[in-house]
Amino acid sequence: MTIVSPELQSRYGKPARIVAIVGAAIMVFAPMVPWVYTGKILDDMRRAFDPSGLQILFELVALVLLGVLVTSMFGVKLGKYKNVVAWNSTALAASLGGLGYIAAIVLAVAVVGSQKGLGGLAAAEPGLWIALAGSVIASAGSVFLRKSPRATLAKVPSPAWVQILALVAVVAMVLFMAAFAVNLTEVESFLVCCVFIVAAVFVFRATGVMGWLSIATANNRKVLMLAAFAAAFIFPATQDGSDANMTVVAQVLIFAGTALGLNIVVGLAGLLDMGYIAFLGAGAFTAAVLSRSAYATFSIDLPFPVVVLISGTVAALFGLLIGSPTLRVSGDYLAIVTLAFGEIFRITMVNLDGTDGPNITHGSNGIPAIPNLDFFGFDFGKSHEIFGITITRQANYYLLLLVVIAIVIAVFANLNHSRIGRGWVAIREDEMAAEAMGVNTFTLKLLAFAGGAFLAGMVGAVKAYKDTSVTPDQFVFLESCFLLSAVVLGGMGTVMGVLIGATILKLLPEKLRFFDDYRMLIFGALLVVMMRFRPEGIVADERRQMEFHDEDEELADEVEEELVTHHDLLNPEGGK
Amino acid sequence: MDVIIEQCLNGLSLGSLYALIAVGYTVVYGIVQLINFAHGEIFMVGAFGSLTIWLLAGSPTDMSIGFALGVMLPLMVIGGIIFSVLTAMLTEKIAYKPLRSAPRLAPFISAIGISVFLQELVRLFYGQIPGFPDARNKIKYPTITGISGASVDIGGVQLKMTTVFILCALAICTLFLWFYINRTKVGRAMVATSQDQMTARLMGIDVDHVILSAFAVGAGLAAVAGIAQGLYIGDIGYKMGFMAGMKAFTAAVLGGIGNINGAVVGGLVLGVVEAFASQLGDTAWKDVWAFVILILVLVFRPQGIMGAKVVDRA
Amino acid sequence: MVKTEYAKAVIAATHTEDRSVLLEASNVTMQFGGLTAVDDVSLSIRNGEIVGLIGPNGAGKTTFFNCLTGLYKPTAGQVRFRGELLPPQPRNVVKAGIARTFQNIRLFHNMTALENVMVGMYCRTKTNAIDAIFRLPRHRREERECTEKARRWLSFVGLEGAENHLSRNLPYGDQRRLEIARALATEPGLLLLDEPTAGMNPNETREAEDLIFKIRDLGLAVLVIEHDMRFIFSLCDRVACLVRGAVLVEGPPSHVQADERVIEAYIGAPQDDEDGE
Repeated sequence: MTIVSPELQSRYGKPARIVAIVGAAIMVFAPMVPWVYTGKILDDMRRAFDPSGLQILFELVALVLLGVLVTSMFGVKLGKYKNVVAWNSTALAASLGGLGYIAAIVLAVAVVGSQKGLGGLAAAEPGLWIALAGSVIASAGSVFLRKSPRATLAKVPSPAWVQILALVAVVAMVLFMAAFAVNLTEVESFLVCCVFIVAAVFVFRATGVMGWLSIATANNRKVLMLAAFAAAFIFPATQDGSDANMTVVAQVLIFAGTALGLNIVVGLAGLLDMGYIAFLGAGAFTAAVLSRSAYATFSIDLPFPVVVLISGTVAALFGLLIGSPTLRVSGDYLAIVTLAFGEIFRITMVNLDGTDGPNITHGSNGIPAIPNLDFFGFDFGKSHEIFGITITRQANYYLLLLVVIAIVIAVFANLNHSRIGRGWVAIREDEMAAEAMGVNTFTLKLLAFAGGAFLAGMVGAVKAYKDTSVTPDQFVFLESCFLLSAVVLGGMGTVMGVLIGATILKLLPEKLRFFDDYRMLIFGALLVVMMRFRPEGIVADERRQMEFHDEDEELADEVEEELVTHHDLLNPEGGK
Repeated sequence: MDVIIEQCLNGLSLGSLYALIAVGYTVVYGIVQLINFAHGEIFMVGAFGSLTIWLLAGSPTDMSIGFALGVMLPLMVIGGIIFSVLTAMLTEKIAYKPLRSAPRLAPFISAIGISVFLQELVRLFYGQIPGFPDARNKIKYPTITGISGASVDIGGVQLKMTTVFILCALAICTLFLWFYINRTKVGRAMVATSQDQMTARLMGIDVDHVILSAFAVGAGLAAVAGIAQGLYIGDIGYKMGFMAGMKAFTAAVLGGIGNINGAVVGGLVLGVVEAFASQLGDTAWKDVWAFVILILVLVFRPQGIMGAKVVDRA
Repeated sequence: MVKTEYAKAVIAATHTEDRSVLLEASNVTMQFGGLTAVDDVSLSIRNGEIVGLIGPNGAGKTTFFNCLTGLYKPTAGQVRFRGELLPPQPRNVVKAGIARTFQNIRLFHNMTALENVMVGMYCRTKTNAIDAIFRLPRHRREERECTEKARRWLSFVGLEGAENHLSRNLPYGDQRRLEIARALATEPGLLLLDEPTAGMNPNETREAEDLIFKIRDLGLAVLVIEHDMRFIFSLCDRVACLVRGAVLVEGPPSHVQADERVIEAYIGAPQDDEDGE
């Protein structure tokens, strides 16, 4: 953020830092006094010296900001990397200041907006204004701080245990934030929390913490995966036996799992599939039809893993069918073909009702009353107590889905980092050249379709049991659009991106109920805006990013530099 | 025999609708190689635009035939066209133009976004305007004296006036289109651009303007189709664009995408086939067959039945 | 020197002075509608031989190339490689042992140099989806070997330090080398180079010449299309001159160089533009 010219910065840098520190100190103090006069909104900010959850978040920000500003007076030197880690890199301070500021503003607006009965801004207590003033002062001061030329943490080498510790801390923080955000019941608080998260991410990026973390991740992939899954497994414990949030989170997982499957087709192989929901449907219907439901038409009592495999296989066969035109059709035409297949699937499921066709699916009524899973006496339909933690019905399915998602992610990542993944990239880049270099393009494209479909089919099988009923109207074209949006929004070709995209697309509408009616409108606009300004998605796969910004030479140089340093850091001796 | 003629007429009316929409796909595709996924919604906007004019005119119900055909209908047609064309041009400027040099995936996804956005815009906000009906459900389309419900008896065959209207509309539009493409400067520039965009640009053609015109022309015809659909079926809704758009796209592909005459022929053929198919078989599978045809044509004969130019889509 | 098993095998083949016919194109004709681009061309290439293909623009050189790589199926005539008829589809031709580069460089430009070469190895590696998904030992071993081999091919063409550079960021000359490395990675018996020195300065051209000799020393046969006469005559064992789709002269460089018809074909009647690929 260079709002102020370098001359001004060097002239007023020192007094500005004092100002910023004062501002930060005020921010630290602010949460200690009441912010709002009523407890009805923004959790409970009435009491002095007893900050609410949200206030604690603000307190954390303020403390970090204060710490950074104070240490920057002395300049922290990390070994020989003192130039690299210039803590007075104002990017950090300024963005942090900005964060507090933005959050406070949003908060104030939320207060005004929701206070028709309580007298609008009159409901605000001094604490709110103190926080606002503090953040303004801190931001104003920090923009005068000089930015060090290469203020990035990314290149600081660190011992493995520091990296692992940091990763675990990050995962724990994410878990805490997720639990906190999901448990917020009022819309305003949730919004403030979202602003906070987004701002925090920006700060991390600006200061190079993200870059450093990505290197730490590359070094300790397994540790991160384990920590992330451990955190995800612990998550139900934060819900205190309540089913409400687990329902939403389980839905997010189903959506994310399917979107990851789609990401193989779209993100890796570069084929646009607009009928993808049909694979989820094929899996769900297969599982439903085979289940012990009274309405199931082929009721066979099979163990669940077998059912999952069958569902996946049926979907994969369907995927082969849909993928077969890729021999002759590509690009937008392929997208239309897949769309048509998707619609044919849905209409067929409606028509297999006994009057227009053989009775398999009971038409638009679908197959209801699918009994809960029973795993070696573990009834998924009941709540269980494990170590004093109540695992509800939805939580049971949530845990099962986690296992499925783990499989999906493993398949995705392992395929991507193999000769098959390289073949897909080659096809995306130049199909003819790939073919001329001996890459079997048709088989690879079919594999993408079948593999993605298999995964979606597996997820579909779990969905059938979790929802207890399967109907054709769950698999409309719009859902395919949503899946595509999740992939595009999150970042084609990335796991993390799609998880984030799926969470945003499923969680936000659930938490922001008022927004539910407008979500389609917003997603439509979002697709257009994303394509215009950031077609590579929130979390960009570097290669995809370059493909979308073909003429951007700077970007290519940046990525390359990163590749080379990355490589050097990973193999300190071997690289040269 | 009468049944056959009747189904023929039904098919031709339906086919004319498809043809009018298909032209929009084909013109745009011919010039920028983009499947304008939002074109179905432009058609829907046209229908709602004409309805808006009628509502603004005070929702006249018992119109004299002269007023209905001489004033109201032309006003509605012009209004619908204006709404559609403006929407299409705006869409082009906002969603497609900035993505000219991006990979093909980008404008296509953008088009999907626009499609969803327009549907939702109409669904959520049309009814919010005071005095306007709620668009969340289907809306009954106004009856125009002399067309809606009227029919003439020709040798025992009931010829619906709506059919006459649609066929006339198609004929007029085709003539207009022929004139526009072959006898105007912009039209010739369009042909040139569709052959070779780079050369056209070098020859001093304002390619951006040509592309915008292509969107506008397609939108105008789609608006006419929207009105025709309202009169023919009797109701309109925010979802009407999806299925109609898909079928029209099928028609465009059937006729050879990029080929305007092909789009018209493709539309008529598809309409007649569909009419007879639903006469013979059950209606439950009707849409499935349309999609099957679409897939088969895309896979086995992407250059269409007219076999115009082979488009390399790799 | 690259010491892959493949290279060893190829070298062994060379050292036994195996000069048998590798590729045999007989009476190849390629017509597009009414236009005959390649007219009854016969050409044979022996193991370890460098053959040049020259001719004015539009003579049908690239079309002939495309017939050899399976991109086009000749309207008449046949191509035999190692005694077998050329299989359909470019990918099968690559597998049979013919690799190529492109006139206008067609690298996967958002992949690193190393990855580009590894794509070339696709048809010589076997890990399937199951191996990859479960990270079976087979997959790991192959992946490791693949990386090693790819590094060796990069250093073979003189791109040691560039393995993590994106191919789009490489200088022009290096991109040409990388394309050759990628083609070599498919472990061919015959390498087809389509204007390998186009756009190069004399220095780079000399380096390219050395590289091609080095490739020949591995025991590969090379077929080169070129316009640079000095380059082709100093490089090739044999040169064929194509004019209007037909072979005008074929023989040792000195023979072709001296032929008046060749000079006439170049300087005499101007020709149409190259048909491209």
